[in-house]
Amino acid sequence: MAKKRKVAKRPKWKKRRASPKVSARRAVSIATNERRTDEQRVAALADSPLAACENDQDLEAVLNVLRNKDESIKMRLGALESLQAASFSADAFGPYRGDYFATLRKIADDPDPELRQRVLGILMRGKDGFAQKKLLEGLKNPDKALVPPEKALQLLSYDVHAEAYSAARAIVKKPPNDDARREALRLLAADASSAPMFEKLLRDKNELREIRQISASALHALKPEKLQEHARKILLDNSDYDDIKATSLTALEQFGEDQAIGDDKALLKSVDPLSAGEAPTKYKQSARRFLGKHRP
Amino acid sequence: MNVELQINNSASPVARFVSWTPSPCRVRVTNPSGVTTATVNLTITGVSAASAGAVVFRSGAAGVFSNSLTLSIPTNGSSVPFFVAGRFGRPSVNNGDVTIQARNGATLVGSVQVMVRIRKNANSLTTGERNRFVSAFAQLNNQGLGRFTDFRDMHTFAGDLEAHGGPAFLPWHRAYLLDLERELQAIDPSVSLPYWRFDQPAPNLFTPDFIGVSDSLGTVHFSNTNPFQFWKTDGVQGVNRRPLNGWNPNTQPGPSVRTEAQTLALGAQFPAFRTMQGNPHGTAHTRWGGSISSINTAAKDPLFFLLHCNVDRLWAKWQRQNGRFNPAQAASYDSNPGNRIGHRLPDTMWPWNGITGGQRPPTAPGGTLAASPCVSAPGLQPQVQSTLDYQGLLNATSRMAFDYDDVQF
Repeated sequence: MAKKRKVAKRPKWKKRRASPKVSARRAVSIATNERRTDEQRVAALADSPLAACENDQDLEAVLNVLRNKDESIKMRLGALESLQAASFSADAFGPYRGDYFATLRKIADDPDPELRQRVLGILMRGKDGFAQKKLLEGLKNPDKALVPPEKALQLLSYDVHAEAYSAARAIVKKPPNDDARREALRLLAADASSAPMFEKLLRDKNELREIRQISASALHALKPEKLQEHARKILLDNSDYDDIKATSLTALEQFGEDQAIGDDKALLKSVDPLSAGEAPTKYKQSARRFLGKHRP
Repeated sequence: MNVELQINNSASPVARFVSWTPSPCRVRVTNPSGVTTATVNLTITGVSAASAGAVVFRSGAAGVFSNSLTLSIPTNGSSVPFFVAGRFGRPSVNNGDVTIQARNGATLVGSVQVMVRIRKNANSLTTGERNRFVSAFAQLNNQGLGRFTDFRDMHTFAGDLEAHGGPAFLPWHRAYLLDLERELQAIDPSVSLPYWRFDQPAPNLFTPDFIGVSDSLGTVHFSNTNPFQFWKTDGVQGVNRRPLNGWNPNTQPGPSVRTEAQTLALGAQFPAFRTMQGNPHGTAHTRWGGSISSINTAAKDPLFFLLHCNVDRLWAKWQRQNGRFNPAQAASYDSNPGNRIGHRLPDTMWPWNGITGGQRPPTAPGGTLAASPCVSAPGLQPQVQSTLDYQGLLNATSRMAFDYDDVQF
C-alpha cells in the first residue's frame, strides 16, 4: 500500500463537489500523481471519468492505478469507478474495452475482497466466461472461493447456465447460511424443474416469510396459474400471515383475471378481514383497492 | 344546445391528455336545439380542485394564455379551433382531475375531463401516482416475458454503439424513454415516467413501496404490496443494486455526481454539453454496484429508467436555457459528418427503424416506436433530428406530448 505523502492543505478542494472546470488532461495528471492525496486523485477521476479515454497513454496510466497493489484500495476503487463510468460512453471507451476487461481478469483474485467483488461483478455483467468459471469453482471448493457463496450465486445469475442451477440446488440442500439459500432460490426461479419446490415453500407457514415471497415470485414466472391458485388458497386460509396474504393479493390484483376474481364471492369475502382490523395500513389500503375494483 | 370539445383534435377519450405544450383542440355545436342564431358565444374554462391540475387557453397557435376563452361558434356544426395547455406548476395528480367546460351564458353546454400529464420528480409523487407507475411497470414486465423484454434487449452491448456511440446518446435515450412511457400509458394512461434527481437525496424513492431497498449484498427488497416483488429479467428474479462506498441515497446526493447547475454550465454548445454522458450520467450509474452499473445489464433495473429520465430532463432544461431546439442550428447538435451511422441528424435510429446487419446490430428488438393517441411525433421510425423539438416550438407537429414539471414551454 502506498504511503500517504504530506501535501499543502487545500480545504476548498476537499470540500468542493465535482466541478466541470478540470480538463481531461489535468484530471489524469492529478489522478496519477502520487504526491497528491488520495482524496485529490480520486476526486479528479470522479470529476472527469472520460479523461482516461483521451489517448492510450492516459488509459494505461489509469489502468496502472487499478492494477497497482501498492496503491491504496481507495485509490484503486476510485480508478475502477471512473473507468466503469467511462464505459457508458461507447465512442470514447469502446476501443479500450478489451484492455479494461483483460485488466479486470488479472485482478479478479486481488487480496482486497471489495475490489474482487466489484471486478467479478463487472465481468459477470459482461457475461465473462473466465469470471463464471472462477465463481463456479468457488462454490464447489470453498477454499478457492473469491467471494462468499451468496455473492457468487448472485453474480452467476447474470448469465445462468445449467452448471449454475446444479450449484444452486446443492446450496439449497445444504445452505452455508440464510443469504446463500435465498440467493440460490432466486437463481432457481428460472429453473422449470424447481416449480414443485417453490409451491411447497410458498405454502409452508413455518418457512421464512422472505422465502415464501421469493417462492411466490418464482411461481409467477414458472407456473403463473399455480401462483394464482395458491394465492387464492392463502387468502382463504384464516391462519396464514398478513404479509403473505398481501403478496397473494398483489399477485391476484396485478396478474389475475378480473372476471374470475369478480365472480369469486368466497375470495372477495376472504379479503374483508385484511381491509380492516389490525392489519398494517398499507395492507388495508391494498385490500380496499382490490375490493373497490372487484366489488364496487 | 350541446357542444363537443375535442382535445388534441380528437373526440376520443384516450386523447384527453395535455402538458405545458399547447394542444390543438376544437369545439363544435352538435345539437343546436333552442338556438336561432347563426353563431353562439361560448366561454371555455378549466375547473379543478386546488390540489389538482389546471389548464390555460388561447385561441391561436401563438399569443398569451388565459384562464378562460370566449369563442364565437357557428351553429351549423363547423368546428372552431383553440389551444389548451397545462398551467405551469399545476400538473394533475389523477386522470381527469381537470374539467374543461363550455358555457353559453350560465348554461353548461359541454365538458370533458382531461389530465395535465407531466413527468415529475419521483421523490415527490403522491402514493397514488407511485402505485400506478409501479403497477403499470410490473405489468409491462409481467413474468419477465412481457413487452418490457424488448426494452431490456434494446440496451445491451449489442446496441451499445447505437445508444452510446456518439452524439445521438441523448436523442436515442429520449426516444427509448418515450417508447417505454407510451407502453406504460397503454396499460394506464395516467402514468408518466418519473425522474430520479441523482444530485439530491431521495428518501421517498428508495423505499420498499417504490424502487426498493438494498441490503448489504445488493439484493433489493420490496414490500408485500409492491408489484415489483414479481420483477424478473433474463429469466432471473429480482433486482441487484448496492450503493457503494457507504453512500445513502435517502440522505445524500450521488457522490461526485455533477449537480444540475454544474451540468447546465458545461457549455452552451451541444458538443460541450454532451460530455455529461460521462458525468453526471456515467457517474450516476456507477455510484451503485449491481446491474445498473454496467451497460449490458442496466435496463434490468427499473431505477435505470428514472435515472435516464433525469438525464433527459437535464437535456430539456439545457435546451430551454440555451434555445437549442433547432436541428439546423449548429449549436443544437454535434452534426459532424464523420459521426457513425445512427448519430447523424437525418439518420433513423435503431432499433425502431428495423435495420439490422452491416454497421447496425444483428437484431432489432421491439419493432417501431409506440404510437400516441395525442400526437404523431416523433414518428414510428424516428430520426435523430426529430427528437430535438420535443415541445413543437419550431414546428407544432413535432411535439411529443411529454413535459417535465420544472421545464416550461
